[in-house]
Amino acid sequence: MATAAIETHGLVKRYGEVTAVAGVDLTIAPHNIYALLGPNGAGKTTTISMLTTLVPPTAGSAQVAGYDITSQARQVRRRIGVTFQDIVLDPDLTGRQVLDIHGKLYRMNRQERKTRITRLVELVQLEEAIDRRVKTYSGGMKRRLELARGLLTDPQILFLDEPTQGLDPQNRIGIWNYIRELNRERGMTLLLTTHYMEEAEVLAHAVGIIDHGKMVAEGKPASLVSALGADVIRVHGHGDQQHFLHTLGTLPFVEQVQIDEHDNLVQVFVDNGNRRLVEVVQAASGNGFRVEDIAVAQPSLGDVFLRHTGRTFRD
Amino acid sequence: MHATYVIWSKHMTKFFRNAEEALGLAIQSVLWVVLFGVGMRGIVTQVSGGDYLAFILPGIIALSALAGAVGGGMMLLDERLRGITKEYLVSPIPRLSILLGNAASTTTKALLQALLMLLIGVLMGVRLAGNPLGWLAALLLVGLFALGFSGIALAVAAVSRSIMGYHGMIFLFNLPLLFASNALYPLSVLPTWMRTLVLFNPTTYLIDAVRALAFGAEPTLGLFSSTAVILLFAILGIWLALTAFRRSIRR
Repeated sequence: MATAAIETHGLVKRYGEVTAVAGVDLTIAPHNIYALLGPNGAGKTTTISMLTTLVPPTAGSAQVAGYDITSQARQVRRRIGVTFQDIVLDPDLTGRQVLDIHGKLYRMNRQERKTRITRLVELVQLEEAIDRRVKTYSGGMKRRLELARGLLTDPQILFLDEPTQGLDPQNRIGIWNYIRELNRERGMTLLLTTHYMEEAEVLAHAVGIIDHGKMVAEGKPASLVSALGADVIRVHGHGDQQHFLHTLGTLPFVEQVQIDEHDNLVQVFVDNGNRRLVEVVQAASGNGFRVEDIAVAQPSLGDVFLRHTGRTFRD
Repeated sequence: MHATYVIWSKHMTKFFRNAEEALGLAIQSVLWVVLFGVGMRGIVTQVSGGDYLAFILPGIIALSALAGAVGGGMMLLDERLRGITKEYLVSPIPRLSILLGNAASTTTKALLQALLMLLIGVLMGVRLAGNPLGWLAALLLVGLFALGFSGIALAVAAVSRSIMGYHGMIFLFNLPLLFASNALYPLSVLPTWMRTLVLFNPTTYLIDAVRALAFGAEPTLGLFSSTAVILLFAILGIWLALTAFRRSIRR
């Protein structure tokens, strides 16, 4: 397939005075996993809502699986699977009923439904619980059931809005494995939003960072990280930062400086951490700033996030 | 059509699975007939030449159709508040089928409720009219009435923000519809002002027609005009639901 799986042009959504999405341009190649990152209220869920035809855009256009989200919404809906941010399940139905009714809505015949459900229940390891009512499920089981529901109709593109929110590490890693497997074996395109940096780092072929309804950075995780500089020197300490920061600004090898006032943390992005460590310590000392701890590290996607949104990645 | 059926059958499954809801509605009906009906029968032995229980049974049936409709509206509200409606909205089904599925299940519940009441009434010794076609016509009218009230309940459910709000709004309809009608007392004993009020209430026409068709009473309003009013009410209710629902999904 030469065309993009998802392509948007200047996508805008306004709710009265509030602009939730302020012109997003996005291209997702087929068979890729794309992670949309952003602080709360950045417009991730609204973007997904538009792409899944839940809400019409105020302006701009988007194609999903080659079809326009407003004029060809039916075609789009036939080709996508969705799991929402909040758990959307009928507590009084059994897991099997949830899946079966979903399959009926998509006009799958009885035989198809039966075989698909058996296979998917096995994949998400719900064999024992599938005939119990959903209200007896744990949070992780509900998420896995929703994932199975999203996959039931064998969609070309799967949208996952915060797929691992509120899950324990074990369940989270389980979900990551399913996602990777689906992508690798079936070539399924996935668009996911997440709160967890490592989730994007581990899974995504490409990430987009969105803030205030706008895309602020986009690319492969590795290239976004390397754009920050080779290494980061993290300096913890307290006292007068002003002079320290000023001195750092005069050093030629310093590519960028970030301050996290909460943690009394100064992050210095440099070309080579080990070589420049001594110089950074020198710049810090003797000016009323006391260093308590210093470490050299490779920048992470979390640093990219901080750089572009001015916020640390916390939940 | 297919999706409408899927949603209807899902709601019916949920209804029967959720024993409390089904049982609650049934018990409510029984209480009305057995306690209220029998109690009143003791003090009022004769109303326009018939048994009082037979006289108020159509009103109780109408009331229970309302209760069924309220329960059906709850289903839509519950699915809306839980976000389950979103599952329908991203699937390739017509938007209208979501509403039709709801209206169908709501009406079904209301009709089941009405049938149960009728049955209890008969068990309590109320005598039906001789013509089974009349019973059928009466049930049909009850169905139309239930459809109309389902529409109102669904319209309210489509715009309510909470379960409390929904019940508050529904309560505004429920009791006035019963008291400001000919359910408990014949039209002829009412003062003129109340009579006028009562004639604006579609429940009045349903009750009058059911009394005539199922229990062999003399119609006071004319079967034809009663049918017309109920039909109009059904159309109005569905139109209301449609308008409210369209607005609720276009955000």
